[in-house]
Amino acid sequence: MTRHGRKPDETTLSVWQVIELARHPERPYSLDYIRRLAPDFVELHGDRLSADDPALVGGIGTWHGRTTMFLGHQKGRSLKERVARNWGMMHPEGYRKAIRLAHHAAKFRFPIVSLIDTPGAYPGAGAEERGIASAIAEAIMEWFRIPVPIVAAVIGEGGSGGALGMGVADRVIMLENSIYSVASPEAAASIVWRDNTRKVEAAEQLQLTSRDLLAMGVVEEVVTEPKGSAHVAHDAAAAALDEALHRHMQALLQQPTEELLQHRYERFRYIDSLVHAEPQFGPKV
Amino acid sequence: MALAHETRPELRIAGSKLPAIPLPPACPGCGVSLDADALRKNNYVCDCGHHFRIGADAWIALIADRGSWQERWGDVRSHDLLNWKVPKPYQAVIEQLMDEGLNEAVRTGTCTLAGRPIWLAAFDFRFVGGTLSIVAGERLARGMEQAASSGLPYVLISASGGARMQEGVLALMQLAKVNAAVGRLHAAGVPYFSVLTDPTFGGTAASLALLGDVNIAEPGAAIGFTGPRVIKQATYADLPAGFQSAEFQLAHGQVDLVLPRTELRRLLAHLLEMYP
Repeated sequence: MTRHGRKPDETTLSVWQVIELARHPERPYSLDYIRRLAPDFVELHGDRLSADDPALVGGIGTWHGRTTMFLGHQKGRSLKERVARNWGMMHPEGYRKAIRLAHHAAKFRFPIVSLIDTPGAYPGAGAEERGIASAIAEAIMEWFRIPVPIVAAVIGEGGSGGALGMGVADRVIMLENSIYSVASPEAAASIVWRDNTRKVEAAEQLQLTSRDLLAMGVVEEVVTEPKGSAHVAHDAAAAALDEALHRHMQALLQQPTEELLQHRYERFRYIDSLVHAEPQFGPKV
Repeated sequence: MALAHETRPELRIAGSKLPAIPLPPACPGCGVSLDADALRKNNYVCDCGHHFRIGADAWIALIADRGSWQERWGDVRSHDLLNWKVPKPYQAVIEQLMDEGLNEAVRTGTCTLAGRPIWLAAFDFRFVGGTLSIVAGERLARGMEQAASSGLPYVLISASGGARMQEGVLALMQLAKVNAAVGRLHAAGVPYFSVLTDPTFGGTAASLALLGDVNIAEPGAAIGFTGPRVIKQATYADLPAGFQSAEFQLAHGQVDLVLPRTELRRLLAHLLEMYP
């Protein structure tokens, strides 16, 4: 067992191989899961301010007998759809849509499932002009006030603030071959080395695999993928995700709202408490 | 009790003398050779309007009434969690910066401003680019929690490249940790004034810096989410002059005011009177 909890025999994949699986073009995307979890899914569009962001899908569906709000980054399968979905990179309108739908869910006491699969928020001039930074900031703050249970799952790429803007939840789980990072390996290499071709080295230092995050205490569970990874067996991957999401949601549905929100606050307030040894740091949760 | 307007005209542009900082021979704004003493007395703002970057020590001297600063949690220190080795070992980077007299990317504490007690937090761009680390997030969140329970107004000065890569996903998680605490400030009805200085980017812009009740930007400061270099790499776009400047953010509705550093202290004192 290494310092960071990965047993050498647990996986024979290199970090970069895991990243390639997380980004595999045949990997199930949010709608592949949502349509299996809730076949009666009805998509709801728009931020009610100016636009609909196709990089984020949202809507309601019946899941284990209960109307549930589903949100998820959506990458495209064909080139045409990839362009239309902007490769799952959200604009400010996407975060505003997410919060609009979160309030909608709160009104009807629908629990929320958020599926994360994005390289990051869109790094373009238009997103800057329309306030991408404050859209993410407001979303991250607002999630702490949404008075219904939220379970988030990283199903592919969890890239930076663009992922965290959809990742403030009562429980956060990860599929085995997904990643979650402060920045994509390319962006981290660009920042640290000023050279984005150093992406493999950056990836190896960032500790971004599901096992790394579990060891750091940042996620509650790693969901085992079917043999050969999720892209070879969409149904089996969806079944495994469904079981884990449902188990976490059942526990959360028992909690009084005040307790739920206090625990959500503490989950993130002390999220780093496992890794620092200094006694002057805050209480462990 | 003295009325506020009786004391305000006497308020100096800085609480105490700012520390000396390294300066280029000529101003990058106007090219005129610099008079270090005059510049220091003018809060490091050139007559042409160029604002020099200053560190947390200078910000504390500028904002806090003389002798009122009480630093908190200065002993909470960063260390290398991820065994980060290349291109430079992270532990060595931190230790070298500490040896140079810097103490993390955020310093926080209490002070008075024109006699009114406040919480103050200042980023320091010299410490790993003012990046949000676990320690920076911890100092910010603790101060905000205390401000929320005591009711003292919270003043933030930001200058940051975003989350610190060398602390990995735990640095990213600081956005959520700190924003949760900002939410408590807002819920408690505590005034939160955020001053954005050059540069404020990435996770810092996408968390606490743009969540102030009043967001104040310094003239010419670069403020945004994705840096211009990365935008150009990703989209091949030509970015117009002034893109992501404070004035651009004012025009796009992200900040309330663009205000010279020489007027900041007076404005904050005025705001502290108006937001009880």
